Amino acid sequence: MAFGISGYGIAIPRLRVKKEDYVKAWGSFQAAGVKEKSVMGFDEDVLTLAAKVSLKAMASVPVAPDKITRFALASTSAPYVEKLLSGTVITNVGIPNGAFVSDHTTSSRAGTEAMLAGIEHVKSDSTGWAVVAAADAPRASMWSPLEHGLGAGAAGFVISNDNVIAEFEGHTTYACEHFGERFRPSDDDLIHDLNVKKFAQSSLVGTTTRAATSLMNQLGVKPEDYAHVVIQQPDARAPSAIAKKLGFAETLLTSSSVVAELGDLGAASTPVALAAALDSAKVGERILVISYGSGAASDALSFKVVNDRKAQPGVRAEIDRKEYIDYVQYLKLKGAIR
Amino acid sequence: MKKVAIVGAGQSRYGEFPDKGIKELFFEAYNDMIKSVDKGVDPKRIRAAYVGNLGSGGFQLGNMSALVSEFVGLPYIHTVRVENACASGGYAIVSAVMDVLSGAHDVVIAGGVEKMTDVSSIKQKYWLGVSGDTEYERLAGTTFAGLYALIAHRHMHQFGTKREHLSAVAVKNHKNGAQNPKAQFQKEITLEKAMKSPYVAYPLNLFDCCSTTDGASSVLICDAEIAKEFTDTPVYVAGFGTSSDYLAIHDRPDTVALEGTKRAGRQAYDMAGLTPRDIDLAEVHDCFTIAELLAYEDLEFCKKGEAGQFVEEGHTQIDGDKPVNASGGLKSKGHPIGSTGTGQAYEMFNQLRGTVQKPARQVKDVEVGLVHNVGGSGGTVSVSILRR
Amino acid sequence: MAHVSIPMYWRTIPQRYRMVGQKCKKCGSVNFPPKGVCKYCNESSEFDEVNLSGKGTVHTFVLIGAGGAPPEFAEQEKAGGSYPVAIVELEEGPKIIGQIADADLKTVKIGMAVSTELRKIYNEEGVIRYGFKFVPQ
Repeated sequence: MAFGISGYGIAIPRLRVKKEDYVKAWGSFQAAGVKEKSVMGFDEDVLTLAAKVSLKAMASVPVAPDKITRFALASTSAPYVEKLLSGTVITNVGIPNGAFVSDHTTSSRAGTEAMLAGIEHVKSDSTGWAVVAAADAPRASMWSPLEHGLGAGAAGFVISNDNVIAEFEGHTTYACEHFGERFRPSDDDLIHDLNVKKFAQSSLVGTTTRAATSLMNQLGVKPEDYAHVVIQQPDARAPSAIAKKLGFAETLLTSSSVVAELGDLGAASTPVALAAALDSAKVGERILVISYGSGAASDALSFKVVNDRKAQPGVRAEIDRKEYIDYVQYLKLKGAIR
Repeated sequence: MKKVAIVGAGQSRYGEFPDKGIKELFFEAYNDMIKSVDKGVDPKRIRAAYVGNLGSGGFQLGNMSALVSEFVGLPYIHTVRVENACASGGYAIVSAVMDVLSGAHDVVIAGGVEKMTDVSSIKQKYWLGVSGDTEYERLAGTTFAGLYALIAHRHMHQFGTKREHLSAVAVKNHKNGAQNPKAQFQKEITLEKAMKSPYVAYPLNLFDCCSTTDGASSVLICDAEIAKEFTDTPVYVAGFGTSSDYLAIHDRPDTVALEGTKRAGRQAYDMAGLTPRDIDLAEVHDCFTIAELLAYEDLEFCKKGEAGQFVEEGHTQIDGDKPVNASGGLKSKGHPIGSTGTGQAYEMFNQLRGTVQKPARQVKDVEVGLVHNVGGSGGTVSVSILRR
Repeated sequence: MAHVSIPMYWRTIPQRYRMVGQKCKKCGSVNFPPKGVCKYCNESSEFDEVNLSGKGTVHTFVLIGAGGAPPEFAEQEKAGGSYPVAIVELEEGPKIIGQIADADLKTVKIGMAVSTELRKIYNEEGVIRYGFKFVPQ
């Protein structure tokens, strides 16, 4: 029986800081292809954003919160390392306390990990309804070039058998042992990167292409069968390198490319990008989603668009709702001045 | 029914006194009160003390009235701390009056004391911000200036009250306070200065707000039948009223009135058999300039919505037809929370007897005076009417 | 800090997270936040639980700034600047106080339409306290 994405929604904090402000402060800007990026307000965090996208996603179906039986949350920058995160969100949005909940937190791949948790749920119980929310605003030291690209945003999805707009076709995962690239020790709230560039690049490209190739083989499809390819966007260069290696035309990345305006959204990167692709996808088109998280793992998911219902307001409107702040305000909001 | 009289009143200087705590401040006011009793009073005759106090930074929350009473030489009496936020002093008076009316005691003290400048500015904000609705108002990020600003903004929106009207209150009260040797700020200000001071809680600016103050005051209250033992010119309590209200402003049907003031005022007028027209002088609770404007309307000195015009036209100046806050008010005299209500009674006692320190502040021919004390943003209100 | 304890805050989670109010069984009016006795008829203590929409209009507001925030909100004011606090008249009838987030301060007006969103209110003892704020609709 066909099931998949029944609704979606995104939320981008309205504050933005520009590349030029980094150049003024540091002399250079190290995130390839990023022009500006989104910043959380003082009173926002990944849980408030997750709540917002969960409500939007449910409203776009529409489905009442009390019908939801599964909730999965993804983020690498949760406010607590230990304490249930989902509880805040389900209580706010009205998802029943009896729903099965899970928090996915250790990887920028967590967004697709949570989506697959929702998918597995509906696959095993055709009457089930899952809400998946990925929200992130990764933090690194202001001294680290890794910090330059880090943005903030969230996307939510409803997975079910009802009102499906993008049918789920299948998925594969490739997981392996890798290290030195993007990690957060347990005694630190900032992410690090040892900056062994070629080594990291080989992990990124190797892991993602293995997952994607294996999925296309499993489904018996070819790159030409896809109209949209959604790839993890730590910067603008990474998705291009992966797409090229897999034999996808660069143009297939366009509909989901958000990194230039929002920055690296961590665990919310592929989910927000997928929402952007869904906004412009037409019935009959296929979407390939490829996430990546250091350590390392990649999920590849394939969807086929079966209904042209779009979430309102669209991703573009949310990206365009913005107010610029300067770098000093950015430092204050990030808690970097103590 | 019994009648009640005030036969003595004292006040410490209001201001910042690093060398004095609540005990010393209360002693200063108490001594000033004892001295004011024309024919003298033996402290042994004082059988009860009602002491208004918010908490003085929390150092003696329990049994503080016993502490200050024994310090001034009044051990072994009936004493109680009266706490209704900024209306603590006003309620101390009403409690003392009720005590005498009941016949339980015939000579009692109503006093008040607050020490506000000992604590850090952070702790000060804590103490000043928890007399409204803490759960919702405070946790919405407001201070008291914020709450009164909400009222002021709506008043301006609904009635066209202007920035100038708010500042006119500040200018008037500073002018009066400049003539009060016990006031915290004995300095006149110009309308321009008042209007241009920085916003602390828009639409309220710095000069719309009263300060934090150390101070104490005390009045001697007795059965009217024995008043002449102490003085030939007692002041009588003609009427009093008190009323609580919904604590949070958002719970009140009318944002731009203090229902507590309306009801307490009405009770006091009715008990005294007087009308607002009969009031020759009022000391009203102007913790913020908007609060004085609300008082004009709620005490029926002017019509609803017309308080701005009322102050602009000069009615409430010392030489106007309805003088208000001849002492300088909370704005200029200072607002040592627990002492404010009894401090207002101290001023009225002297105004009614023609004994204020400087003639420039003496209102002519005062027969009847009204004192009005508000707790928080109106959660509690007391009004007393005193007459010669 | 205003000492609103952890359990005290927790007891108001239905209001702060989900705008749960009470509909008076006698007069039909909606109380928010809850009362022991209906504040409209002052006669009944029997209520039905109702979920409010969170939509309403600004009845009055203040801009807290210039160091005028209470201690729990001092950091917010320093990092994020002046913030508006409004009394909002909800479409179901009751008025309630709350901050307005995400608004250009110049555009905040009495009468403007707002709705609620979950936000961080403040942090005490390392625990983040979430609750509703209003945002322009």
